Amino acid sequence: MTSIGTGYDLTNSVFSPDGRNFQVEYAVKAVENGGTSIGIRCKDGVVLAVEKVISSKLLKPGANKRIATIDRHMGAVSSGLVPDGRHFVSRARDEAASWRKVYKTPITTADMASRMGGYLQAYTLYSSVRPFGITAIVGGWDSELELPVDGQVGNGPSIGSGGKVEGKKYGGPGLYMIEPSGLYWGYYGAATGKGRQTAKAELEKLDLAAGKLSLEDGVKEAARIIYVAHADNKDKEFELEMTWISSLDGPTKGRHEEVPKEILEEAERLAKKALEGDDDEEETKEDDKPAEEDKMEE
Amino acid sequence: MEFGTSGMLNEDGIHVDMDRLKKGEVNLGTSIMAINFKDGVILGADSRTTTGAYIANRVTDKLTQVHDTIWCCRSGSAADTQAVADIVHYQLGMYDIQNGRRPTTQTAAAMFQELCYENKDRLSAGLIIAGWDERHGGQVYSIPAGGSLHKQSYAIGGSGSTYIYGYCDANWKEGMDEAEAVKFVKGALQEAIKWDGSSGGVIRMVVLTQKGANRHLYLPDTNYGVRHQ
Amino acid sequence: MNHLPQAWGRPRDDVYGAYDGSYLQTHGPNQHTQQPIVTGTSVVALKFSDGVVIAADNLASYGSLARFTDVKRLRKFADSSIVGFGGDVSDMQYLDRLLNSLDIEEAYSSSGHTLNAKNLHTYLSKVFYKRRSDFNPLWNQVLVAGLDDDKKPFLASADLLGTTFSAPSLATGFGAHLAQPLLRKVAPDEIAASKLSKEQALAAVKESMKVLFYRDARSLDKYSIAIVTAEGIDLKEDEKLENQSWAFADQIRGYGTQVN
Repeated sequence: MTSIGTGYDLTNSVFSPDGRNFQVEYAVKAVENGGTSIGIRCKDGVVLAVEKVISSKLLKPGANKRIATIDRHMGAVSSGLVPDGRHFVSRARDEAASWRKVYKTPITTADMASRMGGYLQAYTLYSSVRPFGITAIVGGWDSELELPVDGQVGNGPSIGSGGKVEGKKYGGPGLYMIEPSGLYWGYYGAATGKGRQTAKAELEKLDLAAGKLSLEDGVKEAARIIYVAHADNKDKEFELEMTWISSLDGPTKGRHEEVPKEILEEAERLAKKALEGDDDEEETKEDDKPAEEDKMEE
Repeated sequence: MEFGTSGMLNEDGIHVDMDRLKKGEVNLGTSIMAINFKDGVILGADSRTTTGAYIANRVTDKLTQVHDTIWCCRSGSAADTQAVADIVHYQLGMYDIQNGRRPTTQTAAAMFQELCYENKDRLSAGLIIAGWDERHGGQVYSIPAGGSLHKQSYAIGGSGSTYIYGYCDANWKEGMDEAEAVKFVKGALQEAIKWDGSSGGVIRMVVLTQKGANRHLYLPDTNYGVRHQ
Repeated sequence: MNHLPQAWGRPRDDVYGAYDGSYLQTHGPNQHTQQPIVTGTSVVALKFSDGVVIAADNLASYGSLARFTDVKRLRKFADSSIVGFGGDVSDMQYLDRLLNSLDIEEAYSSSGHTLNAKNLHTYLSKVFYKRRSDFNPLWNQVLVAGLDDDKKPFLASADLLGTTFSAPSLATGFGAHLAQPLLRKVAPDEIAASKLSKEQALAAVKESMKVLFYRDARSLDKYSIAIVTAEGIDLKEDEKLENQSWAFADQIRGYGTQVN
């Protein structure tokens, strides 16, 4: 790198003459070495998945979770330095709890992304700290119903409140990705870590913007994408970890939970099958397509 | 002359015991209410402020704006409720700026409740929060002394309200149109003013709908028959 | 008016005598105004073979005024326990939020472990005791209904002083005087309670609610009732008292000797 030797890369918060903060760029490098994390925003929920690279055979399978619950309705996963990810989660939990204390209602995914974006950005401003070595994906379900004030009693009018503006929709799935610089955007599908390029290419094929992919199918796609993205990293073993958040009338009732074992295993089976199919014949995939499209229709 | 701490007015009629003033101070011995109707909410109040039996202000405005279409009715200590309303007014303004969207009535109710609950040993405040927002339409919340929070179809408060529980229960209908709703509020407050010595003066109302806030004023000398504002 | 700010807005000393500022003293014990204001009355509960039945009416009183008639005093926690609240409603709402935050923290770890009724009761009793020791009590008496660590029916009481106890049947407030004797007839001990059917327990609790409505001047004929078992919670919040007996009033004449 051209920066080496200039000294501008040694301190956080100091710009180089061409306007770069090298410490932030190095943090991005740390992210690019981490196991792949993805998030998919489906029409009726959000899936989070991570390729958990097994660093030792002495580690207990299924232990040391990488996807964390931030609030009942929200989870986060990150790629990069695992301890930085843990601190991110800890701060996000504090933000969620303090939002509840002040406003007596759950924080929305967008507001959480904003708070955490601001938090990470602050770590680019001072020479006494280093930026976060993670890119985090935050997924949540914001209640589509009217929420009470936490703890309130009474219901108001039996016929409901008057004067609502009709035809507007509220709440729904939320998916945000926050980078070491503090930059955050909302996504239909997000990917970060080592296999992000492959994962992004796969996510783009799903046409998530159309808002037709169901959560059940999203889980299968997420598993498949993690497996596909892992193909570039074949020498290392990994575990697939997946969580989801459905709508209030879906399987998790608006909560962030681990994908149940049976569903996860089925998704993994299909993912492995799809990978094998990829290798020898393209036709199987072509045959599958029409059936899948039928399923996705509303 | 000797002065006790009994809380009674002394012979001179001027010396008011300070211990009582601290607790009672300028009391909004009041009639306030807020109701849901077809298009939003209506807040209503009398205009009397008393110190003991003396009317300190006969044209008080007890309907206080804390955001564009979120208002509150104040009862209890004038100083306490003004302070609380001022704090919430500030906080809701900040919420709007920081989050880039209008606060909901729930947000306001949550802020009022926190202040009333955490400072229950220092405040004498009975508040009714009413507001309109796009998502939830009109909503009415009651925060009585002690700082509990109650969502209601309509709420009444202040010393005058005790005289109109029967009137309101008997005449309440859900989903009234604006004219009916105004008539209900006016009828209830007229009764409260009639029977409660600590309530009186004019009747003020604020109608909160998608169109914004609209004030009404009715005067006693026309038997509250004509709308003056 | 003189130049002393202390004197501004105060009656003149030369006319009214020196101002007594004793109330402004800041030393002495830390005082919190403590009295319940908006209150709920009794909660009653009874264990049966595979769970607990618990009930409370939907009234929040303001002194003798029946101020709010839609207050749900049975609060659900972690989809497995019910806490029935008597006493101050604002403190009930505070505890509701506190227990909710506890439930959220519990979900941080994916162990699948959730707090059961026994855990909730232990936690609540410590909160109550801490607050009374700070001379700032939470003005409630609560019944916690659910299951213990062995999935057996659990029922216990905790109150504003941090006092706790457990029994096959429990009632707070007026219920302790009026409902407890009735419930004890049905379930004098744990063995008797463990033989009760759900229907028997339900009938006994409903009967208690009726007696309480007859005799408690701060009660309401609309109530909430919940059945907590290992299968989950069946909570009904809009029940109306049934089979009341008033018609015998036509036999009552005067107050002693009058016949017409």
